[in-house]
Amino acid sequence: MAFLELEHITKYFGRTAAVMDINLSVEQGEFLTLLGPSGCGKTTILRMVAGFETPSNGNILLDGDDITNRSASKRPMGMVFQSYALFPHMNAEQNIAFGLSIKRTPKDVIARRCAELLELVGLGDKGRNFPHQLSGGQQQRVALARALAVEPKVLLLDEPLSALDAKVRVSLRNEIRRIQQQLKMTAIYVTHDQEEALAISDRIAVMARGSIEQLDLPEEIYNNPRTVFAATFVGTSNHFNGLLESASEGLCQVEHQTLHVPPVPNLHDGDRVLVMVRPEEVSVQNSEEGVNVSANGAGNHIAGVIELRTFLGPFTRFHVRVNESTTMTADVPSQQARDYYVAQRVVLSFPPDACQVLPLDKEAVELERLAEAEEEKV
Amino acid sequence: MAQAVREINLPVRKDRPKGQGLGVDKIFLTLVLLFLIVPLGATLIFGLSSGNSINFNTFQSVFTDHDFSQTLLLSLGLALASTILAILLITPTAYWVQLRLPRARPLMDFLALVPFAVPAIVMAFGLVEVYGTGNTLINILSFGLVPVLSNEPFNVVNTPQLLVCAYVIISLPFVYRPIDNNLRAINTKVLSEAAYSLGSGWWRTFLTIILPNILPGVISAALLTFSTVMGEFTLASLFSIYTFPIYLNVTGQNDAHKAASLTILSFFLTMIFVLGIILLVRIRPGSRGNEDRLDIVAAK
Repeated sequence: MAFLELEHITKYFGRTAAVMDINLSVEQGEFLTLLGPSGCGKTTILRMVAGFETPSNGNILLDGDDITNRSASKRPMGMVFQSYALFPHMNAEQNIAFGLSIKRTPKDVIARRCAELLELVGLGDKGRNFPHQLSGGQQQRVALARALAVEPKVLLLDEPLSALDAKVRVSLRNEIRRIQQQLKMTAIYVTHDQEEALAISDRIAVMARGSIEQLDLPEEIYNNPRTVFAATFVGTSNHFNGLLESASEGLCQVEHQTLHVPPVPNLHDGDRVLVMVRPEEVSVQNSEEGVNVSANGAGNHIAGVIELRTFLGPFTRFHVRVNESTTMTADVPSQQARDYYVAQRVVLSFPPDACQVLPLDKEAVELERLAEAEEEKV
Repeated sequence: MAQAVREINLPVRKDRPKGQGLGVDKIFLTLVLLFLIVPLGATLIFGLSSGNSINFNTFQSVFTDHDFSQTLLLSLGLALASTILAILLITPTAYWVQLRLPRARPLMDFLALVPFAVPAIVMAFGLVEVYGTGNTLINILSFGLVPVLSNEPFNVVNTPQLLVCAYVIISLPFVYRPIDNNLRAINTKVLSEAAYSLGSGWWRTFLTIILPNILPGVISAALLTFSTVMGEFTLASLFSIYTFPIYLNVTGQNDAHKAASLTILSFFLTMIFVLGIILLVRIRPGSRGNEDRLDIVAAK
């Protein structure tokens, strides 16, 4: 049995189901991230684990004990909130000491522990500062130290970096990961930021509409998404709706063009599918070198015109219009990207192995739209 | 020294827009101060004058009057009891509504406004009707509580205890509103959840986390209740309880100079109380006021 088990957890708010029949296991010392768009139920799950919400159905087991109906104050959880939630009338030290004083820990032990934790989060000299005298990043570090002070069995983090600026966000997420690994702490992290989730987690649960779409290692989520939602929500991707011409040979009809894809034995000829290609798998060639296209053999080659060129440091992103309704994205190492310019005619190439083919049923289409809408928001 | 002061002040003067040395703001400030101070000064002078001379005779007669100390102490007692009861009842209720029953907030807002809409005289007659007339329907609806409270040994009719309860009701808007505003301003839910997750129960969270952060609201509620009760006339008069405002009224009918002195005394008592409360709020650890003062010290 896993350290933390969620068994058939369902949560209704009125008639709306926020979480639908979730089963989730978290191992001791694991860093699990719940990733999904707003309203997908990820925070509700975290709040149920923390004890702030009671599941409508199902059980939560911690280390074998059923804690489903235990009050939040009696659960061995530490929580870090998006809005820091530091007690404004207490200084950093007093905030950290609060949980320990409830446990009637001797004063000298509290003082020592506060000093240790302040050191751990890199705020050794800020113990006497009140929350309003600290920056957002510093406040969140204190909040992290406060949650760790009570030595929780599980650390819960509810979008802890959302309110911070980009640079602090990256440094603090690395800090959180370092501390979690150092203390071998079991952690559940909620975020809608896929980059954050990929960077920090042992495993990621991609969520949509109250259900887990895929629970896997970050690399697997990125490279082998198993659902249309996971494919479109995580990372940037080119995706085409098409019909499977031959499942065994790996041929797919997409907008009057046949794409070579890997064989998909679990699907049938004539199935509606979504073909996904990551931009870094797409290479750009000058269309005047078109003679070489045929020489590339079984690869996929699509002609188009560069519409937008965005320099992103190590690589340059090209948005290439391939027909009236479709643009494709290609990420090219910046050193090779110098030869390409806006309005240039190019050929985009990608190998069959770079394509992910996923069945596209009615629900998947809706989820794809949901993921696209989220992408547009970003 | 003067040189140093001038040097320190220079940058501040530079920052000010030109032509505002005798600006409209100062004129308005002066007018407002005059508006407030002139009647007070006139009352003071009227209280101090007897015939053609100015002396402290009226103040002396006030302090030697037995009724003065007795009614003042009674009013202070009533004000204190009403304030404590109102705060004890409303603060946890407002917190509970904010945290667990946000849907009940419109109802609370409405209830907090009712005392404004119902004149004190109506409330007094209502209380007399409920507790004084032995209405069978009311007896049944109150599950037999009204008959018990209307007769000895638990009789509350025309007692200071019932008056305190009535004062708690009329002070409801002054108590609920500032406390609720403070609760809304401090992100009550998240702070409470943070405290729960650290092992704190409901009461401990309320007393050690929420209350210190809504203290300005609680104090202003206490201040308003205290001042309202200290000056309340109608209910006390209808309950036939001889409080300070009634004494003030009676004295005013007999000796206008003495009444003026009493008004001044009552004003200064209230002012001392208000200043005390304001100072109490400002020396709270971690408050912005404290930090500002530290900044000023550092700048010096």
